Amino acid sequence: MLAGNAPGLQHPNSNSILRGLIITLAYDDVNRTVTKRLLEKLGCEVTAVSSGFECLSALSNVEMPYRVVILDLQMPKMDGFEVAMKIRKFYGYHWPLIIALTASTEDHVRERCLQMGVNGMIQKPVLLHVMDSELRRAL
Amino acid sequence: LHAMNTVVAQLQRRFQDYLVSLYQQGFLDNQFTELRKLQDEGTPDFVAEVVSLFFDDCSKLINSMSRSLERPENVDFKQVDSGVHQLKGSSSSVGARRVKNVCISFKECCDVQNREGCLRCLQQVDYEYKMLKTKLQDLFNLEQQIVQAGGAIPQVNIN
Repeated sequence: MLAGNAPGLQHPNSNSILRGLIITLAYDDVNRTVTKRLLEKLGCEVTAVSSGFECLSALSNVEMPYRVVILDLQMPKMDGFEVAMKIRKFYGYHWPLIIALTASTEDHVRERCLQMGVNGMIQKPVLLHVMDSELRRAL
Repeated sequence: LHAMNTVVAQLQRRFQDYLVSLYQQGFLDNQFTELRKLQDEGTPDFVAEVVSLFFDDCSKLINSMSRSLERPENVDFKQVDSGVHQLKGSSSSVGARRVKNVCISFKECCDVQNREGCLRCLQQVDYEYKMLKTKLQDLFNLEQQIVQAGGAIPQVNIN
């Protein structure tokens, strides 16, 4: 499906399936900066936000065709699940795609994610190639 | 030209050895390697910027946890737990292995509301992040010397 020997890890070309707008939501600076850079390295255009409100505001901007929201579930001052729920409530289950980042390996987190309409899950800390394959799987 | 090449090669060698030693001594883990992969000619300061954010976080979180642990009769363990959780998350994201490991013990002390244990862990995490900060500063200095001598930063494979 995709050309290239190291898919996504080379300079993005016009055929890259990953070209597209992504919102990444994480509470703390470190995680937000790292995730944003990781996604950019894979050829994505990224908007990094630090609140559910900013996330929903960005999605409501019709001029920016966002495709995916990368959502950090472990945020101290806000509930990542709640943000996912709100996204699904306002925009339905087909758009945008939501990929959750979690440090937890517990089953109930996975189940809850599925219930919330999350399309994919990645374990933290995030590895470049894992993000790469998860995005390709989801998109 | 030959002399310059030798200087560059020597600096590169020093850099490589130093970086490998940081992994071997357990200061860094694979996630730091991942971080280095994200740096390129377009973003030459990426790693330095991220670790700088991390050390700022450490300082802030340690201060607030210290305040929460201050009075023995009134410890806000929920707040401490939240701080440890954040610290564990960000140390994990940058590959700060020793800091992350202290956080694991720290969380355990928090879970059983062991103030003394928490205070010890707090002291240890403070020590570890400051130690790492010094080590990485030395590493970045070596990087800078290589660049100034006209060389390229070596890709280092950690086994």
